[in-house]
Amino acid sequence: MEDKQLNEKESLELITQMIRNTQKKMEKGSGIPFLIWGYVTIAVSLTVWYLLGKTGNQNWNFLWFAIPVIGFPVMLLALKRKTTLPKTYIDKVISYVWIVMGVSALIPSMAAAVIHNFPVLFLVVLLISAGTAMTGLVIKFKPLVISGFGGMLLSILCLILRESLDSILVFAALFLLVQVIPGHILNYKNRKNHV
Amino acid sequence: MFKELDPLLHSELRLAVMSILLSVDEADFVYLKEQTKATSGNLSVQIDKLNEAGYIEVERGFAGKRTRTVCKITPVGVKAFEDYVESLKSYLKL
Repeated sequence: MEDKQLNEKESLELITQMIRNTQKKMEKGSGIPFLIWGYVTIAVSLTVWYLLGKTGNQNWNFLWFAIPVIGFPVMLLALKRKTTLPKTYIDKVISYVWIVMGVSALIPSMAAAVIHNFPVLFLVVLLISAGTAMTGLVIKFKPLVISGFGGMLLSILCLILRESLDSILVFAALFLLVQVIPGHILNYKNRKNHV
Repeated sequence: MFKELDPLLHSELRLAVMSILLSVDEADFVYLKEQTKATSGNLSVQIDKLNEAGYIEVERGFAGKRTRTVCKITPVGVKAFEDYVESLKSYLKL
């Protein structure tokens, strides 16, 4: 493309073509944040479940804070590997959704440290599932919508089982459903679109 | 009566850059180069012209060890683009 003058019709065609090309782009590896948070949460959950079951010492619950401690640096590292793809308004909306959801999930986690028997796992799964469903609706990606709403519904299991240690296993399984599985599907789909 | 077409936008490469930037929040120089298939030198010159006119913002930074230039359309640029499209419509009697 050069610095040449166009006629009016060519100008309009060029505008349409450029906008259409840009809208077609889908970020390769956009499932990565789902996979990072999903796998970190599952690993920490299983560790807490094992240690609580083995020792009965409630102080192991402080290990839950390993999720943001591990998750944030890994996310920063992953985001550093910038692509040259443009940042769309949709990307912006999605990052705002997850900032709000992330902060909302941190608050019940802090409350659980001081309030006995607080239904933290239920609230966290409900919020994260809502984030997944919203992301799916924004990018029009059905697997995210289905797993997000499914997670919201199944989060009740964590509430029912909150007296039992098994609620942690249900929590880990739900993270597999609302983060890991859709993350892999999203990556697979994007890889296919880029071939 | 026909509205005058903005000479800054009535050029293939600058119009392409503005069209891309209108549909995204921000775009990388490398991406613009890929999409427009322009040479780096020519694209740089046109980006500077749009920047000087206040139609776009250009941010030069680093991504790891490599330099990274990110462009973003400004409200002035959006208005100019809208006026340009309105003028095109009057020429094409749309």
